[in-house]
Amino acid sequence: MPDLTFELRRNDYSLSDDEESVRQGFAEFFAKECPATRVRAAEPLGHDESLWHELIGLGAVSMAVPEAAGGDGATLVDLALVAEEFGRAVAPAPLVEAMVGARLLARCGGAQTSLAGVVDGSRLVTLALRPTSAGDRQLVPAAAVAPAVLALDGDDLVLVTSGAPGPHVANQGTTPLAWWTPDAGDRVVLATGVAAQRAYATALAEWKTLTAAALVGLADEAKRLGAEFTKTRMTMGVPVGSLQGVSHPLADVEIQVSGARNLVRKAAWFLEHEPAARPELVPMAFSYAARAATLATRVGLHVQGGFGFTLESDVTLYFRRAKGWSALIGDPRRELLAVGDLLAAQTKD
Amino acid sequence: MDFSVVELDDDLAAFVAEVRDFLDTYVTEEVHDEERRTGGSFNLRLHKALAAKGWIVPRWPVHKGGAGLDRVRERILELEFERVDAPSITLGTTRLVLSAVEKYAAPDLAAELLPKVAAGDVRFCLGYTEPDGGSDIAAARTRAVRDGDEWVVNGQKIFTTGAQNCQYTFLITRTDPELPKHKGLTMFLMPLDAPGVEIGPIRTVGGERTNVVYYSDVRIADRNRLGPVNGGWAVLRGPLDEEHFGGGADGGMSDLGIGTSWARMQGRAVAAAVRWAAAARPDGTRPIDDPLVRARLGEAATDVEGAIATPGPMHRVRVSEVLLGGAADLVDLIGPEALLPHGADGCVADGLFDYHHRFAQGTAIYGGTTEVFRNIIAQHVLGLPRPVYPASKVLTAAGPTRKDRG
Repeated sequence: MPDLTFELRRNDYSLSDDEESVRQGFAEFFAKECPATRVRAAEPLGHDESLWHELIGLGAVSMAVPEAAGGDGATLVDLALVAEEFGRAVAPAPLVEAMVGARLLARCGGAQTSLAGVVDGSRLVTLALRPTSAGDRQLVPAAAVAPAVLALDGDDLVLVTSGAPGPHVANQGTTPLAWWTPDAGDRVVLATGVAAQRAYATALAEWKTLTAAALVGLADEAKRLGAEFTKTRMTMGVPVGSLQGVSHPLADVEIQVSGARNLVRKAAWFLEHEPAARPELVPMAFSYAARAATLATRVGLHVQGGFGFTLESDVTLYFRRAKGWSALIGDPRRELLAVGDLLAAQTKD
Repeated sequence: MDFSVVELDDDLAAFVAEVRDFLDTYVTEEVHDEERRTGGSFNLRLHKALAAKGWIVPRWPVHKGGAGLDRVRERILELEFERVDAPSITLGTTRLVLSAVEKYAAPDLAAELLPKVAAGDVRFCLGYTEPDGGSDIAAARTRAVRDGDEWVVNGQKIFTTGAQNCQYTFLITRTDPELPKHKGLTMFLMPLDAPGVEIGPIRTVGGERTNVVYYSDVRIADRNRLGPVNGGWAVLRGPLDEEHFGGGADGGMSDLGIGTSWARMQGRAVAAAVRWAAAARPDGTRPIDDPLVRARLGEAATDVEGAIATPGPMHRVRVSEVLLGGAADLVDLIGPEALLPHGADGCVADGLFDYHHRFAQGTAIYGGTTEVFRNIIAQHVLGLPRPVYPASKVLTAAGPTRKDRG
């Protein structure tokens, strides 16, 4: 059967000057303000209130909100670049949840009062990553620091606000996780039916894309920590990094991480500009980035030998969060099934 | 960042139609049959027809034998050529060597050859690898010894793919074994019809034909030398870097590295696997209704997308490993029918899965193995210390000795 369709797309992954300056601005901020000592100091909760307010001050949440809703209207590509730098620092702040929560509120027009507080930092809103039902509890990211949770409850998109955030639950990722139930506070319905489903699905796609970007930054830094160690650590008279048993696994990490970075940025671009054209890119990017983070932290730790395994080594901060962030949404392999479902749906056209 | 659609105006749409019409005419089932039989990756009628269109060197101006195409049209040509799986190895090596000929050939040689290349009458292959050298091509032992205005060449090369289709091979020789390994090399355009050149076919599990080429007291004119005596490494690096890293960014019309066609090949296999999975079996069920099948197809599609997005030398490794791993996985997914070749009773997708699985193995070796590229990534991207090997910089005892020179 001849292929009668023809489509030629540009294949340009380069950053514009504006995008590069956004990336660089946040990279410099995190490098200066969020060294590993600050990450450690925020453990085990995984939240640094003053760092979070510095980020709010930089406009990290308002940039996520469209100008029409009172924000600075950055693109999802910009947000992905910020999330990547955030991940590189494993910064103890609920950046991705706050960005996605603010955008979801902005999408549900009637929630302007909630939104103002989110943008100025007086009110932290997070997102339940699984649809919920009465009495059913789930682990929600940032719920140990956010008193308000957005959730899909049956047919309704709801904002549930409590007097205080839930109690922190100890977790390997040292993130501000808390158990949460939908009947835990005051419930405001933001949307119902198809509108609710759509708004929530978009929020999940954005959460996956931005978390994938954070995982890329995390993976890249874990790789760098491992590679730097091998440049000076000697064995049998040569640097260990000159041995192919060490350098080739690090090269494999570079292969996975560099591809994940571009794939995530591409997914962000499509989500921003043509969300209906390539919906499979989001689950692709998430699973690819999750794989990159798992591989990079494993190798980054391993190539530092016994030292890499000690709490003293910074790569352990990355190792913990690789799963601490990626496991929240469920098995990344489910994302591959989601890609397959989209492929199957195309065969019915 | 830009992944937008290139708008097809009437002119561009007409060009697409022209390309498709051309490929329908010249890349026929007979061409594919010949390819399966001979593995030559070349068809003379197609090559001459390309030349008549100016499409051997599509960017060159018409008066030089090109078609004066812009980059968008050249890209369309590349992608369409690939989509119909047109034989392409000899075309590719010809274009690769052409840039070195333009840059380094003596003016009279260039004036003679460039129009013939554009006309499809002169084609080039790569004479790099030696039987005991593998990817370490700077260890070349094939000797060229000066004799007046001529050089006398002795030695052998292996994996000179397309030698049977070409007039010249881009030959790396050792001209001074006393100098450090990379400094005693000189490049020549070796005429393959010169007395003393003997081409022996080698068939691969991938179905391709490659060659061993023996050089016994072959005399060639000094005018066939490209670049300075003992300056061959720099001459070779041009095409080699092109082969290793691919072109730069040009408005999103280029791939991110070399070998992307292998990832797109796997992309076509995934599409074929989806079609296989969506077809009903005799009992009415479809493989694609099984979530395991969908998850595996989703993984295969994800790997293709990731490979295409991977930049630089990392790209080279990932695209071939995605084809290697992906082709094997698709055989597992589909089952024994996937091992049936084209024409066999019950073969799937015209034997594509059988062919890809075999073909994939070579892609991690061509143009330097994936291990060579991991070394490049380690040293040039990660900045890791260069490994120290006895023969990194010098010729070892296995190399030519004083006695060999006599």
